[in-house]
Amino acid sequence: MKKLVVSGGKGGVGKSTIAILFANKFTKEGKKVLLCDCDVECPNDYLLLGQKLKKSAEKVYAEFPKLNKKKCKKCGLCAKTCRSNAIFQTPGKYPIFIKDLCSACGACWIICPQKAIEPQTEEIGQVFVNRVKNNFWLVTGSAKAGLEETGPVVTQTKKFVLKLAKKIKPDFLLFDTAPGTHCPVISAILDCDLVYCVTEPTPMGAYDLNLILDLCQKLKVPAKIILNQADLGDKRKILPALKKFKVKIEKEIPYSKRLVEAYSKGQLLNFELL
Amino acid sequence: MKICIATTGPDLGSQISPVFGRAPYFLIIDSETEEFKSIENKSAQAFRGAGIAAAQTVANEKAEVVITGMVGPNAQMVLEQSGIKVISGVSGTAKEALEKFKKGELK
Repeated sequence: MKKLVVSGGKGGVGKSTIAILFANKFTKEGKKVLLCDCDVECPNDYLLLGQKLKKSAEKVYAEFPKLNKKKCKKCGLCAKTCRSNAIFQTPGKYPIFIKDLCSACGACWIICPQKAIEPQTEEIGQVFVNRVKNNFWLVTGSAKAGLEETGPVVTQTKKFVLKLAKKIKPDFLLFDTAPGTHCPVISAILDCDLVYCVTEPTPMGAYDLNLILDLCQKLKVPAKIILNQADLGDKRKILPALKKFKVKIEKEIPYSKRLVEAYSKGQLLNFELL
Repeated sequence: MKICIATTGPDLGSQISPVFGRAPYFLIIDSETEEFKSIENKSAQAFRGAGIAAAQTVANEKAEVVITGMVGPNAQMVLEQSGIKVISGVSGTAKEALEKFKKGELK
């Protein structure tokens, strides 16, 4: 099983579209494909494939810190340890946890010498499964609306999809990520075989391509470029990034009105372009 | 009384920062003696939670009042909870704000 990621840094470059086009290509070749939508803040692969999310296959939980005031000695170690700036403590008073900033990493309860911080489980999202075709499964991770830190939802969605993959044994496991290079994207890329970085020939595309290629290098996952809308803009813009990170353009996709129309109608299933 | 003025530079002639959490400097001033020290705000570049980290810095310095341009909701909440008075909407130099504060003109 090959674990491929479709990412790219910039938003709106066509990550979801390309991920689905890959799935279409592989299924057409008779391969078994499991596509996992990791853009959990606004998953849309199911919309592009004309699917509906019905009953969730699994709920996603994360553990957030809760203070046991009886045990807390107000030492302040938790506030000093928190990298998300999610713990505040007035010297000599009890720490305050700011949930909106918490990434549920668990460092505070590991470090607390008094064991005064207790992990408390809360639902943070859901996972859905659609069997789009005989040899094409779609798994959608969806974060609870208003959740600030969605990295844990991606991690849990990935765990779920790896479990499912053991059962259905796909040839390709495709991860479609959110834009950016933050926790939810890192969680998706970790442990994968290859990242297809989708970009466009614009200054913004080039800037964000640098960031995602840098991330791939740091995570030690090889990267290839898919240049979308390749005939628009100026291709020279992205060449320095290719040179700097020694990566190649795997595929150039010209602008296609037919594709945009199919996209807007949610009819990307069976659409062939790659 | 110890007061904190969020500023764009490290001395009393500096402008007051329009924001609290990502202010470049904090001046911790003794309002009686006008003795002060400047602290570089390390959380100015934080990915998120800059306001909380800044409030933590101010609380650790045991300041009783914060003077700034604007405070975000998270910082406002924790500053209030730790009994630190927030005076926002202030502009001009730190020196001017300090004088106004001593005359009781800042509220």
